[in-house]
Amino acid sequence: MFDKKTLEEAKKLAQEWQGICEKRYPGKDFGSTTNSGIPIKPVYTPLDSEHIDYEKDIGLPGIYPYMRDNYAIHYQFQPWINQQTHGYGLPEHTRERMDALAKAGMKGYFGGRAYNLVWDLPSYAGIDPDDPEAIGYIGKDGVSCVTDEDFERMLHDLDLTKTNVVMINGDTLPIFAHFIAYADQKGVPRNKLRGNTMNWQFTAWWLPSMLWEPEGGLKLATDLIQFCSREMPDWNHTNFECHAFSEMGANAVQQMAFGIATAIAVADSCVKAGMEPDAFMPGMGFQIANCNDFFEYICMFRAWRRLWARIAREKYGCKKTSSMHLRVHTHTSCYELSKQQPLVNLIRTTLHALGAVFSGTTAMELPGYDEPIGIPTEEAAILSLRIQQVILEETGITKVTDPLAGSYYVESLTNTIEEEGKKVLKQIDDMGGFMKALKGGWLISHCRENAVRWRRQVDSGERVVIGWNKFSVEKEEEVRPFRVDPEVARVAIERIKKYKSNRDQAKTEKALSNLVSAAERLDKGDYGVVMPAAIEAAKAKATCGEISKTLRKVFKWGPNYSPLTSY
Amino acid sequence: MTMASNRKARVLVAKHMLEGHDRGGKTLITMLRDAGVEVIYIIYGVPEDVVMAAKQEDADVIGLSFFSGGYFENVPRLLKLMEQNDMKDVIVVVGGLIPDVDGPELLKMGVKGVFGPGSDLTRFIDMVKSHAQARV
Repeated sequence: MFDKKTLEEAKKLAQEWQGICEKRYPGKDFGSTTNSGIPIKPVYTPLDSEHIDYEKDIGLPGIYPYMRDNYAIHYQFQPWINQQTHGYGLPEHTRERMDALAKAGMKGYFGGRAYNLVWDLPSYAGIDPDDPEAIGYIGKDGVSCVTDEDFERMLHDLDLTKTNVVMINGDTLPIFAHFIAYADQKGVPRNKLRGNTMNWQFTAWWLPSMLWEPEGGLKLATDLIQFCSREMPDWNHTNFECHAFSEMGANAVQQMAFGIATAIAVADSCVKAGMEPDAFMPGMGFQIANCNDFFEYICMFRAWRRLWARIAREKYGCKKTSSMHLRVHTHTSCYELSKQQPLVNLIRTTLHALGAVFSGTTAMELPGYDEPIGIPTEEAAILSLRIQQVILEETGITKVTDPLAGSYYVESLTNTIEEEGKKVLKQIDDMGGFMKALKGGWLISHCRENAVRWRRQVDSGERVVIGWNKFSVEKEEEVRPFRVDPEVARVAIERIKKYKSNRDQAKTEKALSNLVSAAERLDKGDYGVVMPAAIEAAKAKATCGEISKTLRKVFKWGPNYSPLTSY
Repeated sequence: MTMASNRKARVLVAKHMLEGHDRGGKTLITMLRDAGVEVIYIIYGVPEDVVMAAKQEDADVIGLSFFSGGYFENVPRLLKLMEQNDMKDVIVVVGGLIPDVDGPELLKMGVKGVFGPGSDLTRFIDMVKSHAQARV
C-alpha cells in the first residue's frame, strides 16, 4: 500500500519509538488482545498494512469486493433503516407501539417504513394460544398473531406496497402463509409485498426447543426461498441470525464465520434445488451484533462484507451486485447490557450503534436500556430510536463513508479477522460442513464455552461491567418492567377458538391433508410446493399451530420436549 | 446419616420449551457441574413434566430458568403439583431474567430462592449443597 521510501521511513521511526518505550517503560509489554484473542499492539504503522493491496483489498465503496460499503454513496443519499424491534400482547397492542415509533420518527427507505415485528414464543414454535404449553407465554415476549384476522388487527389501513413488514418468528412458513393469505384478501399483488421473513427453520439455536431438526428445517427453508424467487422476487426471504451466535457466546471471528457457514449451507441447498444464485442471493440478509470491543466489531463488519462478496462471486458465480452485497441488520449487543444501573446501557448501546454506523450498516435495531429487565417500555424503545437519530442528525459522522479506511490499525485488523474467519470456515469444511458442525454440537459448544469463560471473568473482576462488578452502588434505582395487558391470554385463546368454530371444518381438513402431500413431495426433493399448500391451508382457516403440526407429520420437530404431550 | 457426605447433590434444571435465550441456564449448568453437583437438564412443556423428571431423577433441588416471563403462571402450578405428589423435601429455586419487583412475590409463593441477572452464583451452589445435605 506504500512506496519504498515511506516504508523505510516508517521502519526508522518504529525503531525510534521502540527505543523510547524501552527507556521509559523498561521490561514492560503493552500489547494486548482483542475480545476474539487476536494479538494487538499499542500502535500501528504503515509497516502493518504493507502487504495490503489497495485495489484488491480496500478499493472504494460500491466497488467489488465492497469492503468499504455496498453503495458508492450511502448515508449521504439514504441513511440506514430504523428497525426497532417491537411486538407484544394482542395485534392491536403492537399496533399502538408501531404508531408510537412512527410518530417518533422511525424511518425506512425512501419515505417507507419498516416495522420490525417480533412474535411471541408460542408462535415461534408453532403453538397456538389454546395449546396447554402456551400458558404463561402468550403475547409476552412478542405479539400473539396467528391468523389472517390477527394481521388485519395489526396492519389494517397500512399500504402494504409501501410498508416493510418484518416478521420475526421461528417457524416461519405458517405465519408467512397467513400473511400472504391476508394480502391476497386485500388484493395486494404478492410481488408488490415488501419485507422480510426470518426463515429460521433450523437456525433457532438460542431457543431451548431449536424448532425443526436440521435436515428437514433446511428443506423447509429452501422451499420458502424457491416460492419467493418464483412469486415474490423482491421479498427478503432469509435472515441469518448471527446476533444469536454472539448472544450465545461467539466472539467476532466466530460470529462472522458461523454466520457465513450458515448462509453457505442454505445457498448450497438452493443451488441443489435448481435455483440460480443470482435469483436467491439478493433476498438473503445477516443479523449482526456490534459488541463492546469497538474496533474489532467494525473490522469484523468490513471483513465480513469483503469475504461474503468474494464467496458470492467466486463460489457461486454471482454476477448481480445485489447478490454480492452483505445486507446487514445490526442488532447491537444485549448480553453485555447490565441490570445494575440500567441507564448506563444507553451509553453502551450508543457506542455499539456508533460502531455499526462506522461499519456502514443498512438497518439498525437497538435494545432498550431496560433489556435486562424485560421487553422495552415505550419510553425505552423511543430512547433507542433517539440514539440512532442523534448519530444521524447531530454528529456529522454520516457525511463520509467508511471514515476509518486507511487507518493502519483498522486495515490490519480487518485483514487478520478475514484470515481468522477463513480458518474457522475451513475447519467447518474439514469436519464435513455446516450440518455436521451444528448437529455434532461443535458450533454450539464453542459458543457455550465462551459464555462460561465470560461469566467467570466477570465474577473474578478480570472483565469489567460498570455497575455490576465495578463502581456498583448499594441501592439501585428501581426500574418498573413493562407488562402486557393481563387480559391478553384470555382474549387470544377466545379468538382462536372462535376462529376454529367459524370455519368449514371439512374444507380445513382437506387443505391440511393436501399440505401433508406437499410436505411429502418436498421431502423427496420437490421444492417450492409446501408454501403454496400452506397458503391454501391458511385460506381454509387452518391456524398457524395446525399448519406447523401438520408439517411435523413429515419433518422432525427439534429435540423432544414434553414427555406428556406428543406432537 | 454418614452416607450424606458421599452423596452428590442433584439439581434438575428445567427450562420451558417456549423460552428464549438459554445462555444463563446453560452457564449455570456448567458451573454447577464444576462445583461437583449432578445436573439433570430438561426442556418441559407443562409443569407435570418437571414433577415427573424430578421424581424419576430424585432431584434435591428444582431450578427453573426463565427468560421470557411465564413464572407467575407456571411456578404456582408446579408448587401445587409438588404438594400433591408429596415432594415437600424438594425445593424450587428460580433464576434468569426476573425483575427485582417480582422476587418477593415468588418467595411468598414458596420459592426458596430468586436469582436475577448478576446474582452471585456461588450463593446458589451453596444453597443446593446445603439442602442436599439436609435432605438425606
